[in-house]
Amino acid sequence: MIYDSAPLRVRQFSRDALTVIDQSGAPLFRKIAEYRQYWTLFVFLALRDITLRYRQTLLGVLWAVLQPLLPMAIFTAVFARVLRPSTGGVPYWLFVLAGMAPWTFFASAIIMSGNTFASNHGLLNKVYFPRAILPGAAVAACLLDYVVTGLFVLALVSWRGYRPTLEWLLLPVIALITTALAMSVGVALASLMAIYRDVKHVLPFLVQLWMFSTPIMYPINLLPQPVRPFIGLNPMAGVVEALRSCLFGTPPDWYLLALSGLSTVLIGFAAAFLFHRLEADLAERV
Amino acid sequence: MKTISVRGLTKEFKLGQQRRQYRMMHEWLTVRRPKQAAHGAGSFLALDDVSFDAESGEVIGLIGRNGAGKSTLLKILARILRPTRGHIELRGRVGSLLEVGSGFHGELTGRENIFLNAAILGMHHGEIVRKLDEIVDFAGVGQHLDQPVKTYSSGMYMRLAFSVAAHIEPEILLVDEVLAVGDAEFQKKCMQRIEQVGKHGQTVLFVSHNIQAVLRLCSRALLIDQGRLMQAGPVHEVAAAYLSIGGANQGERIYPEGPYAPGDSVARLRSVRVRSRSGETLATVDLGQELGIEMEFEVQDTTLPLFPVLSVQNEWGTEALWATDAGTEWHGRTRPAGRYRVIAWIPPNFLASGAMTVTAAVYSLTPRVEHFREVDALGFQTIDTLGDGTARGDFTGYIGAATRPKLEWTVDYEGRVTSASPSRMSAPRSDHAV
Repeated sequence: MIYDSAPLRVRQFSRDALTVIDQSGAPLFRKIAEYRQYWTLFVFLALRDITLRYRQTLLGVLWAVLQPLLPMAIFTAVFARVLRPSTGGVPYWLFVLAGMAPWTFFASAIIMSGNTFASNHGLLNKVYFPRAILPGAAVAACLLDYVVTGLFVLALVSWRGYRPTLEWLLLPVIALITTALAMSVGVALASLMAIYRDVKHVLPFLVQLWMFSTPIMYPINLLPQPVRPFIGLNPMAGVVEALRSCLFGTPPDWYLLALSGLSTVLIGFAAAFLFHRLEADLAERV
Repeated sequence: MKTISVRGLTKEFKLGQQRRQYRMMHEWLTVRRPKQAAHGAGSFLALDDVSFDAESGEVIGLIGRNGAGKSTLLKILARILRPTRGHIELRGRVGSLLEVGSGFHGELTGRENIFLNAAILGMHHGEIVRKLDEIVDFAGVGQHLDQPVKTYSSGMYMRLAFSVAAHIEPEILLVDEVLAVGDAEFQKKCMQRIEQVGKHGQTVLFVSHNIQAVLRLCSRALLIDQGRLMQAGPVHEVAAAYLSIGGANQGERIYPEGPYAPGDSVARLRSVRVRSRSGETLATVDLGQELGIEMEFEVQDTTLPLFPVLSVQNEWGTEALWATDAGTEWHGRTRPAGRYRVIAWIPPNFLASGAMTVTAAVYSLTPRVEHFREVDALGFQTIDTLGDGTARGDFTGYIGAATRPKLEWTVDYEGRVTSASPSRMSAPRSDHAV
């Protein structure tokens, strides 16, 4: 365990490091350097979340697998007959599970990280650390579940007779993009919730709405024509689409992926802007 | 080496900003907020043009009344709050201890909490691993290290939290008085640790409205009142100034009605004053006079036997006097609800001269609970005039003792010294020779 292994390698800051504090706050390069300095805190916050999630649970990490599995079972039972969706030859339950895996990660990551500023009010008021560590670590803590679920889905896909292809090498990249997206949305939500607690109440509905507007339990061709070109604006649609295309070898919808890529970048900038507006006064306003 | 340099530091808090935010979400999202908000009537200056420097190896006390701006200053130095104006330069790593046990979680084991808490305080993994044994030793949690801290006794919990805090080694350490809560032993450990840190060439900024602690630890002090730096200099001068601005209110202090006065649901402090037999409030007391320390408190819980305690400290932080109601009919008894006035009468020619502060407290003993303990509730001056009747007699020099009672002093004159004693002295000398 990390608690008594060899030290992580961390750059030691010099004894004479000069910190200047004024109204304008620290320059950007300094802030970024600080995140490296606080790497240890990031790791231990994430470890704490993971430890707390599974301590005193009977099933432990098995929950990571069950979480996408249970809604998948429900959707399959309800929709497989009713919709009779054309999934390009992929069994419907597997089709749903491949979408559910990234979605479960994304949803729990944004809910966890969205709450971090509001719920760590005391900590923010008593200790200094680079603030985005809190939502960042919350997302990182969900990553373990994502990896476990991902491996489980891969096992099922192989079991159903799909052979590993070169495209499977892209799966970690997709996971990374999902993580970056979750961090952006998490930081933005945390910043908003720090000031408007309304966000806390809106969040569950938002997540639900977001799930239904992501092609998880339905293929994109089931969408009405006027909506279809815009579905890529939902970056999670891109993630799910890319993932399925890698797993099942279906041809990807490049237009949709490009649109998702663009909206991911835009969300990243929006989150950075929101966070930057709030950061220096976070303790005062949260 | 200069480690802290603060110039023109100003912090303005906007009142009622919250409500404005809720109403005008779009305003928050726009790049510039309207200017009138910053200078409107709805703001107050928590810090107003504060400048000072600190050298390495200095332990500096930051004193002032509640709400004077001490904690705000500390939070700005710790980068928790942003200054409104001004410029600060800090040389070296900054560690802040505004509370102990930040981020502690009951479900985590002692070891896990050490790592997390140390990381929150800015320690790196390598450092934590290196100091782990030391921290565990200092805390004395031993075999409980891998138990969840929810199973710890509160004493163990505090010891663990403090021992992590005690092992951060920044060049600049900011300490708030929250550290001074806890039992006496714990406080002593805190104080010793802060003293040590100063001796190792680190700079310590120590916030307190407890004059005693500041006097004991610091060589220099800053006095802050209503956001302004009133005085900076040798700690005794600053402490005297603190008392004179009524840092501890002069002669009499009346606490507001309701929950803001020190106390809990059992007993609550109402007022403290220094008085004469005839009932006048005294801010300056001639030592030749008798004086009474009076405390009024309210009792709501009638099931606990209450112990009122009054103590007096001198300007060196030495406890000159401690008194309770032993010997009265109320001692160790439960009390009917209501208001009580207790007075400890100090006989003439007992205390030494100087600036004194009063600490007023009420405890119950089984179990030991502190209902309130108001440190520096009150300040008063004691003076003495020369001549007959005073305990100092004709001596005009400085007396450093905490008390200077006029004792019964007996003198027996035994006549002239005879030659008996030299012969006794010679005996051991001859032994030695053999």
